[in-house]
This record gives sequence, structure tokens and C-alpha cells, in this order.
Amino acid sequence: MKEIISVIRISKVNETKKALIDAGIPAFTATGRVMGRGKGQVHFDILQGAEAGHPEAIAQLGNAPRLVAKRILTVVVPDDQCQMAIDTIIRTNQTGKPGDGKIFVTPILETIRVRTGEEGDEALN
Amino acid sequence: MLMIRTIVRPEKVHEVMQGLLDAGYPAVTKISVVGRGKQRGLRVGDVVYDELPKEMLFVVVPDADKDFVIRAILDNAKTGEGKFGDGKIFVSAVEEVYTISSGTKESEPLLAAREV
Repeated sequence: MKEIISVIRISKVNETKKALIDAGIPAFTATGRVMGRGKGQVHFDILQGAEAGHPEAIAQLGNAPRLVAKRILTVVVPDDQCQMAIDTIIRTNQTGKPGDGKIFVTPILETIRVRTGEEGDEALN
Repeated sequence: MLMIRTIVRPEKVHEVMQGLLDAGYPAVTKISVVGRGKQRGLRVGDVVYDELPKEMLFVVVPDADKDFVIRAILDNAKTGEGKFGDGKIFVSAVEEVYTISSGTKESEPLLAAREV
């Protein structure tokens, strides 16, 4: 089993949910807003100054990159569906501009359905 | 590749993120979480607070950079010798990383420390 953790644009969450259902993966877990930054540099002194309400810091804030709001969608899938799920997420979220997000794939050792106590791939179906 | 998940004090988040930036790891994701540790929360008189607010930071780094990144986090997240509540660092395996905007699969060197 694999856990697919995808950090995606907030505006793309609904689209991704629909696409995953169409691809046969209805189950997912999502977080609320998460904040993050990518390769762009963040000017922390300016950011902190602006949060404290210093006018000169707010004036400088203009073009500097800062933390951006995203949402995290987590899907656990059997090994054979992993690549298909990744392709689906990439296809629905790709705009080609920086900020589309990242997908991380991590191994899951065990899945247990709480209702019945089923284990492994059965618990995912 | 490794995913380093760090739970830190909310007031220390800016310092830790600046530390990571200085160390050359600009890419971070941050989530607000609540939780308790092995001290079972905070006890004030008869009231127990067992949902203490913390911030969780995600960083994904190449295997070789693990100790360096953990050192960078520890140096900035500590509030004193042996103080409770400074948080935890969890390290787990990441098998694949994709950048959505280009659709490419990342290899380790692309995630390594970069000049900032």
C-alpha cells in the first residue's frame, strides 16, 4: 500500500475529488488550509514586521514571496493503483505555473478497517 | 528521500523556518495541530489541558541531508535544556516525489540544499 500526500491549490480541491472518484478512488483525507513555501525565498524579517504592523515593512511586502495557502489531500491506495492515482492528480492540478504543488509517495505498512477489523488491501476496497 | 515532520511551539515557527531557509531548504509546509505529549498535557489546578496548540512542519530532503536538517531544526526549536513541550521530530521514508506544474518525477539532487 502507498500513501499519496499531495499539496495542491485550494481552488483545485473539488476538481481533484471529482477526478479521483471517476478514477475509482473515492476515499481520501484532506486538511484545512496549510501554509507553505516552495523554492521561492521568503523575507521573514519583513513578514514579521508586517504582522507587527510596522508601515515600512508593509510597504516592502509588495513583491516579496511569502507563505502561500494550500490544502493537503491524502489518499491511501493499493500498489497497483498508485501510478494511476498520481497521474490523475497531476492531470487535474497541472496549470504549468509555479505553485501547482508537490506529490509525495510514502509506503504504508498496514491498513485496518475499524468497523470490521479487516486488514491489508481488503480494508481499502 | 525522507519526509521530516516536526512538531514545534507556535511561537518558534518563524525561527525554525528562517533556520531552514538559512540552511538552504526553502520548501516547507506548515499545519496547525493540537496534541499532547507524554506529560499528558498541562495541568493548572484541577483543569487539564490536553489539546495544546502546536505547528507541524513538513520538509522532504535527500537521505544524506537528514542529520544536517535535523540539527538546523533542533538548534532553532529548543527553548532550554530539558524543557517539556518543545516538540518532536519524526522521519519517514518517501519513495517518489512529483512536481505537479511540470509533471516530472523529482530525483534526489533536485531536492538538495540550494543557494538562497
